[in-house]
Amino acid sequence: MSSGIVLNIQRFSLHDGDGIRTTVFLKGCGLRCVWCHNPEAMLLQPQMSVDGKMLGVEMTVDQVIAAVEKDRRYYENSGGGLTLSGGEPLFQFTFARDLLTEAKRRGLHICLDTAGDVPQSHFASILPLVDVFLYDIKAHTPEQHQRLTGVENKRILANLEFLYASGAAITLRCPLIPGINDTPDHLAWIASLARRYPNLRGIDIMPFHNMAAGKWRAIGKTWTLGDLPNASEADRARWLETLRACGYINIRL
Amino acid sequence: MHTQPFAFERAFTAMFRRHQEDSPAIREAHCLAMQFPAVFLPIQPGDHFAGRMRYHHIGFSPQHHAGGFGYFCDEQAIRAEMETLTLSESDRAEIESMLMFWRTENTRAKVRAAFPPHLSAILPSDQWTSEPGIVFPLYRMAGAALNYKKLLLRGIPGLREDIQHGTGSPFYAALHMTLDTFCKSALALADQARTEADRQTDQAERTRFERIAASLTAITERAPQTFHEAIQMVYLFTMHATLQCNFGRMDTYLGDFLAADLTSGRLTRDEALDLLVSFWRMMPSFAENLERVKFDLRVIIGGRGRENIENADQFALLALDASDRVRAIVPQLSLRCYTGMNPALYQRALDLLGAGATFPILYNDDVNIPAVMHAFDVDAVTAARYIPFGCGEMVLEGVSFGTPNAIINLPKALEITLHNGVDPVSRQPMGLALGTLADFATYDDLFAAFSRQIAHFTDAAGEFQALAYRIAGEQAAFLYFSLLYENCIERGLGMFSGGVSHLGGTYETYGNITTADSLTAIRACVYDRRSIAPDTLIAALDSNFQGFDDERAQLLAAPKFGNDDDSADTTARRVHETICTLTRNQRDRTALDSFLVVAINNSAHILLGALTAASADGRKAGEPLTNGHTAANGQERSGITALLNSMVKLDPAIHAGATHNLKFARSMFTTHRPQLEALLKTYFECGGTQSMITVVNRDDLIRAIEHPEEYASLIVRVGGFSARFIDLPPETQREIVQRTLWE
Repeated sequence: MSSGIVLNIQRFSLHDGDGIRTTVFLKGCGLRCVWCHNPEAMLLQPQMSVDGKMLGVEMTVDQVIAAVEKDRRYYENSGGGLTLSGGEPLFQFTFARDLLTEAKRRGLHICLDTAGDVPQSHFASILPLVDVFLYDIKAHTPEQHQRLTGVENKRILANLEFLYASGAAITLRCPLIPGINDTPDHLAWIASLARRYPNLRGIDIMPFHNMAAGKWRAIGKTWTLGDLPNASEADRARWLETLRACGYINIRL
Repeated sequence: MHTQPFAFERAFTAMFRRHQEDSPAIREAHCLAMQFPAVFLPIQPGDHFAGRMRYHHIGFSPQHHAGGFGYFCDEQAIRAEMETLTLSESDRAEIESMLMFWRTENTRAKVRAAFPPHLSAILPSDQWTSEPGIVFPLYRMAGAALNYKKLLLRGIPGLREDIQHGTGSPFYAALHMTLDTFCKSALALADQARTEADRQTDQAERTRFERIAASLTAITERAPQTFHEAIQMVYLFTMHATLQCNFGRMDTYLGDFLAADLTSGRLTRDEALDLLVSFWRMMPSFAENLERVKFDLRVIIGGRGRENIENADQFALLALDASDRVRAIVPQLSLRCYTGMNPALYQRALDLLGAGATFPILYNDDVNIPAVMHAFDVDAVTAARYIPFGCGEMVLEGVSFGTPNAIINLPKALEITLHNGVDPVSRQPMGLALGTLADFATYDDLFAAFSRQIAHFTDAAGEFQALAYRIAGEQAAFLYFSLLYENCIERGLGMFSGGVSHLGGTYETYGNITTADSLTAIRACVYDRRSIAPDTLIAALDSNFQGFDDERAQLLAAPKFGNDDDSADTTARRVHETICTLTRNQRDRTALDSFLVVAINNSAHILLGALTAASADGRKAGEPLTNGHTAANGQERSGITALLNSMVKLDPAIHAGATHNLKFARSMFTTHRPQLEALLKTYFECGGTQSMITVVNRDDLIRAIEHPEEYASLIVRVGGFSARFIDLPPETQREIVQRTLWE
């Protein structure tokens, strides 16, 4: 029975897939997104926050599953289930795979919230276990992706292509950061993905929120976005307008 | 008519004295004939019905706001009013003599005087809001659940027929007199309405008063035939019967009247709604400035066991509309839900809650009916007549009486258990001396001592409850109750003199979860991990944690109820089963047919908390105790499903009701409506008995910033995600407050 480092288990999750869900956040991520809203999940190992709180705990698959099972009846009545998130949930690949295998065996509905930057073999291995992929799209050019997330996006896009071609159910999740990646050409590119992948379950726009600034400070890191305000209603309206002008209508914001 | 000062009070007192040696039923009938219609107020502009009232300072009532019941005398109010009057020597002397008379003759004093010595020793004080103690008696006959259906079907002539066979007995003679008194009130108010009608220039106003007059006259002559007559009869009868009223399963007794009027075209739905809105608005009026009483009024709709479901549902929808329009704190509209109920009714209820109304409170028949069957030892048909009254205590409509006449502070009981029976605040002996914490070798020893302690007090509570009924029954027949409670007429006995079928009683328990969490923390820190020595814990509690920050941190870190944590929840269940069983066992020790725990909402947990030292769950001295089956303030940290899962672990079949407060952001009813419905459905399927839902508004959120401990489980939508409101950084909280302006 493998074990892994869990940052948090959040019950009654409403935004990481359908229905009522329990989201399990695993530690560890290969990306370093400047806006990251879970910076305490970047490092694999448990770490102490500046105010002395331990972030991350080692748990076995059984322990995680036991916590997830507690709300099974809520999942059944709502069409919900387990969402594995992070960090990058596939960063601890063996643990994630074992967890998904057990969850699948128990008939839980499974979402995987991934940034996509892992070996394709990982996806090939878990493909039969995952009901819906929540797949992050952050920037469209390799250079911009490198600059904003610390890695380029070639492998991410190839994995998206692979999952799509394999018939996976995919929802794209696109964080939009005003003045950083909400450029017209990025929006146009998001719309083009919708045309390229017509069978996507949908595209979720994730408007920027600055509440993570405190989390960065809590782990002694510098939040580089300064006092960048939250995405405004005007920002949202502009994004919608641009996306619709590009021919993409089924946007969730 | 009354020109001399306190003329009513003096006349009432004279009447009482004149009949002091008569049978209690006759004396009561004469006193009621003096009280009614004297207490009625003029018909108010806009009202569609007559019967608003205000008690005088002396009178007869099952419950009076000044703390008395039966024959009450509000001496404090009289003395305050005397200060404002210029009184002659003879008036003053007569009033003083009247006050002295009532000091021993009021029913509350009669009950106190009847305490046997051992009961006085265990329950020395009545001052539960100002003096520390474990169990206190409460003096009232609250929460009547009258059989309004019988009232409307039989009417006054029918009720007269029902009591005809007993002519000659004082009880039946007294019942006849009370019906005369009711008719006298109705006709007096009808005269008033006619006079008002004549005075109106506006035709609509004239018609309104004429209708009131016509209905009041009609209900003295025959059973009501229209929706208006039926409401007028229910309202006026209730005003005669009790201040502390519960209008019961209104859809079962008004549904058919509504349907008949709508079908015949006598009323349009809008007109019917106007009538109901007026009824709703008249509910708090007779208890003006009496916050405590205002909260108590209930109307129940929905549920199993209704005869004409279609008509009842039609009325229930109208009741929801009325509450939507009135948006007041009364009536506490309560919807009994069940599998297979009319989905339109349920959806309308959720719409209302989502729009920020705090009603209806949702009850779950699928769980409550079997629970009531067990708790009250009754069959399914009788159990289906359950109604939650006042703060949520269950009674059986027309069958059981269940006034809450004792109150226990459970954390205080644990407190003295840790201190060898001595109250650490006053340093006076308060309970059984069974040792101190250090004397209990194991956690089970501690729990056994705690159980003995609460058994000692609960036995006294049961004995008091039975005593209160006995004295009430000796003093009066509670005639209006006796008319509409099963078996009183049949047996020829007054309500509490052997008449009522099911003599119940309820026991208000506070700090149930504070107690459970304290025991969990003691178990973890003192017994299992041994990280806090027994004497250290006592020192920490006695000093309100001054200088014991580390110990308090350990106690706070111990598992807490409300997080679906097995160790915390198991203790909560054990505390629950212990107190519920000790209470329920009183039916074998006393004349009571049932005596059951209620864990309810009101402000008692705050008042009792103020008199309770620091507790081992980490709560500081003076802070509120928990109420209902809600988690301690701020301790439900694992999401609402975890909280609900914890709540359903406490067996509802051994008590008479517990309240479950849930706070939601409005987005749960808009963006997340399907999840909300699934949440409630699952909670009820898993055994949830009820839910009191509050949808927070902007003011609540501002309060949540200042008092995060009260909003621990509140989840709000932030952007692409939801989060616990109190976890958000201040700037985000402020933004959400702003956003709530337009959401």
